[in-house]
Amino acid sequence: MPDLEEQIAAWRRQMLAAGIKTPVPLDELESHLRDEMEQQVRSGLSAPEAFETAVQRIGHANAIKTEFKKVTNVKTLRPGKLLGIACGVIACSFSLMILRTLVTAHEPSLAARMLGLAAVATAILSWRYNHKFLPVILNQRTRTGIGLACCLLASAWMALLIQFILPNLVVVPAGSEMSVGRVLNVLLWAMTFAAVLGSIAYGLEKVTHKQPQLVDS
Amino acid sequence: MIPKELVAASAEALILSLLAKGESYGYAIIQEVRARSNDHLQWTDGMLYPVLHRMENNGWIKSRWAESENGRKRKYYSLKKDGKAALSEQRAQWMKVHDVLTELWGKKYA
Repeated sequence: MPDLEEQIAAWRRQMLAAGIKTPVPLDELESHLRDEMEQQVRSGLSAPEAFETAVQRIGHANAIKTEFKKVTNVKTLRPGKLLGIACGVIACSFSLMILRTLVTAHEPSLAARMLGLAAVATAILSWRYNHKFLPVILNQRTRTGIGLACCLLASAWMALLIQFILPNLVVVPAGSEMSVGRVLNVLLWAMTFAAVLGSIAYGLEKVTHKQPQLVDS
Repeated sequence: MIPKELVAASAEALILSLLAKGESYGYAIIQEVRARSNDHLQWTDGMLYPVLHRMENNGWIKSRWAESENGRKRKYYSLKKDGKAALSEQRAQWMKVHDVLTELWGKKYA
């Protein structure tokens, strides 16, 4: 009769062959198997019988793998979330660079600096809390569509900013005056708008996946 | 025996409710559900773990590996703030179903 540890090793290999490859679920399942075996031995079964019972109770490797695959799919297939993150990262990176200039430059007034900080705070608060106010949209296509629309709008807004708004801010008509603080604040609030759009795409995914899944999506 | 569809639908509410009482691990969760339901709620043991991992991905629960009393490593789960909110929502939903059925069936079954 093969050694019990060998049998457990063989069971692990079966699980691996079925596709439960990541070490965490497999280690967890083995821990469960050993707990169940100990319980069965305490109930009076022999060690080999306890092993057989525990293996049966854990279930078929393919069925478990199918369920784990669903978890992985839910985790990875969220294009709206990815687009939202991409939008947010780009907008926030620019925001931080502009904020740094606003804080370190000598010209901007305290009010201009506070206004700039408020723009960055708005972007951060939007990312942290907007999911509390967004609706649950169970249809993934609709969610992705809205997320895509938000990100396209953010991209178009940035293009508009770079192509038309920014040149007009830099080249000031003769006789008028545009302070550095004001220019930087216009840019910061423009980035905040793009970051908020990204946060909507992200927040729609977040709020939906936090919702208890008692209804099929 | 309770049909598998109802077992699956109630899994998250049961896990959240058990973890609200304190940290636990997969094997103990299954044993407690079996004991509390007098063996009417029977899960295929291995199927519990994808549910736990999904709930962890949802941000409802968190996990940590720790050494058990017998010296082996075990993965312990506990409730997070969002998990408490999810439990409140699920409790409200199940109570609504319960109230409707109780009203339909009358006081005899209440």
